Amino acid sequence: MNSVIEEFKNMFSFENVKWDAVIEATYETIYMTVIATIAAFIIGLIFGIILFLSNKSENVPSKPLYGTTSFIVNLFRAIPFIILIILLMPFTKAIMGTVMGSNGALPALIIGAAPFYARLVEIGLKEIDKGVIESAESMGANTWTIIWKVLIPESLPALISGITVTSIMLVGSTAIAGVIGAGGLGNLAYMVGFTRNQPDVTLVATVVILIIVFVIQILGDFFSKRVDKR
Amino acid sequence: MINIKSVSKIFKTKKQNITAVDQVDLSINHGEIFGIIGYSGAGKSTLIRLLNGLEDVTEGDVIVSGDDISKMSKGDLRNKRQKVSMIFQHFNLLWSRTVAENISFPMEIAGVPKKERQARVDELIKLVGLEGRAHTYPSELSGGQKQRVGIARALSNKPEVLLCDEATSALDPETTDEVLDLLVDITKEMNLTIVLITHEMHVIRKICDRAAVMENGKVVEVGSVIELFQNPQSSVTKRFVKDDISDDDHQLAIEELKASFPTSTIVKLNFVGTRAKSPIVSEVIRNYDLDVNILSGNIKQTNQESFGHLYIALDIDNETLESISNEFKKHDVTLEVEAG
Repeated sequence: MNSVIEEFKNMFSFENVKWDAVIEATYETIYMTVIATIAAFIIGLIFGIILFLSNKSENVPSKPLYGTTSFIVNLFRAIPFIILIILLMPFTKAIMGTVMGSNGALPALIIGAAPFYARLVEIGLKEIDKGVIESAESMGANTWTIIWKVLIPESLPALISGITVTSIMLVGSTAIAGVIGAGGLGNLAYMVGFTRNQPDVTLVATVVILIIVFVIQILGDFFSKRVDKR
Repeated sequence: MINIKSVSKIFKTKKQNITAVDQVDLSINHGEIFGIIGYSGAGKSTLIRLLNGLEDVTEGDVIVSGDDISKMSKGDLRNKRQKVSMIFQHFNLLWSRTVAENISFPMEIAGVPKKERQARVDELIKLVGLEGRAHTYPSELSGGQKQRVGIARALSNKPEVLLCDEATSALDPETTDEVLDLLVDITKEMNLTIVLITHEMHVIRKICDRAAVMENGKVVEVGSVIELFQNPQSSVTKRFVKDDISDDDHQLAIEELKASFPTSTIVKLNFVGTRAKSPIVSEVIRNYDLDVNILSGNIKQTNQESFGHLYIALDIDNETLESISNEFKKHDVTLEVEAG
């Protein structure tokens, strides 16, 4: 019993916390999350739109396109993130020049999150009233116009709440990446908090991650509601 | 204006082929309001979608003001659609755009410069009676108002043909009439040809010049609305006409009426495509110096004629009855004695 109390005392003493290191780790986590979210948004949106447009049953030539895209998306979603990082190391080394640090984590973060977001985009687009798309076709809109002026604006609340979920998932992924050397709060919690047995550092890292997640959720909800005129 | 030549549309599914439109021939004149009526599943929705290429024909030709829709390239067809616009049962407005932005949308597609778009939007908002609502979103509008936006949007590129896909079916009767009146007004004003599909005979009666009746993908009857009401040939048409001028509920009351007017003769006057604008009934009554109790009536107007019936009770002898019967016949009104 005494040992438990001792542990808690340790945890809340904050005597080991180097605030400079916390700030740097926070910056790295935010950096990785923001860059990966932006990239996942763009790539996921493109793939999501391809999935949606190629999945119209009457469009026979588009069937192989749907099959291929769908397969790639499912494949990368199925690989556990920790394995994906290791699997991608040669690729990462080739394009980023390093497998360490925040930049070294980015390819795996993006490739892990983009397929997930692509599915969320596809679901969001399927929610659009078919009649609205038909009416744009009846006005003579081409596919490009339909994408920009119908599909994206009409599914915007879903696209925003989808990227919110993806972004929060990415915060978690950065922490996993941190354990194998990507930097950030996960790295801090593991390298300092765990290996040096400084639980107060782990606690601080957790609280900062929670704050980041809450801020993302609040921003996501705000903008999703703001654009929804239904 | 529009020529549909032995057109068929077959939907191929894995299990079976469904013939939605079966060897249809129709020609629709410039400037007329042409109705296509049928129960659900009759193929009318598919047929109207062949007119702007939203569906491809399986067989036959669809020619709209000189262009064969079924043989146009995709790009030409998109340009053509700016002149063959469409309104929908569920309006299909973009919720993400305001009224003004919705109306402006087809012009953005057509590449109209911004200034011209704004001027045209203002003009159209006035035309459909939505002044002051330009910057509201569709979710804040009633059904009738939404359809007005739909109409304004469809008119923005000054089309030659307006296709109406059950445009009033989601509206209440009063709003339906307002929207129909609006359609009649704009047809005259903008030199439009309207093709509308509906399952409601009163829509046909109220605004159409000619109509086609569809059943199982086939057009079973075509003619002026007057002909269809006067002399329906097919059983479907008869059903539609009967439903519209329904007199079932009056049949029951005859016995009770007889009890209330024991000394009178109860007479039913049938108005079948009566053109005369003169007050026939009142003339006859005055000429023969009769006392009349009006019991019940159901008279409907097409855009040209009257249809329906009127039940009256008269104190009358047989001789006078015969002569007023002849008098009415001269005006295309037939007289039946229901109880006497």
